[in-house]
Amino acid sequence: MKWVIGGFSALLLLTFIALCVMAGSPRDVYGMVRYALPHMHRGNLRVGDDAPDARLVALDGSNRFHIRERTGSKPLVLIFGSYT
Amino acid sequence: MVDIYNDYKERADFLTVYVREAHPTDEWQMKSNVKEDVCYAQPRNLEQRVAIATDFIKRFHYPLPLGVDDVNNGANDVYAAWPERIYIIDETGHIAYRGGIGPFHYHPEEARAWLAARFGPVTHRGIPPATSKN
Repeated sequence: MKWVIGGFSALLLLTFIALCVMAGSPRDVYGMVRYALPHMHRGNLRVGDDAPDARLVALDGSNRFHIRERTGSKPLVLIFGSYT
Repeated sequence: MVDIYNDYKERADFLTVYVREAHPTDEWQMKSNVKEDVCYAQPRNLEQRVAIATDFIKRFHYPLPLGVDDVNNGANDVYAAWPERIYIIDETGHIAYRGGIGPFHYHPEEARAWLAARFGPVTHRGIPPATSKN
């Protein structure tokens, strides 16, 4: 039993160290697990699928438009991101 | 991405979609955000999102058209876009390119490669055309 607990603890420790190396620090591991991983999804879209539509807001804060309105005449490069 | 836009804006349309912040001060803030003075709390309403997106555009003179995802995260959800991702939609309304999830799999050069395959590479004097890593 002691070996099982010891092995499990060692595994946890190694996982934590690996995450620290990946994320940068223990604080970053917490941030990644708490805030990033729950929001990161591969999604189901594949090349060849119909592109889904969504409604966006213009920078004036009031006008709205659909992604679909920007498609049709040329390929549309969609770039998702934020400031931080 | 701005370079790709400048090279292909006559042949493709571009649209940036501002989605929820990746490293706001009240969640997982990075040291680099403090160093670069990019410190914002996670927007709780549309007005705050628009304000941050506007700051971004002003600071970097960002030339690409931009729309803001509403706080219901509708665009983010259907495109699984967070924290950053690139897609290309062809003229028939189908996904022609699906980029990986950033930051580790965010590769604008792949989008450039798609555009280059479709429209030809763009060369700048003395600089060879950029190519995809893949």
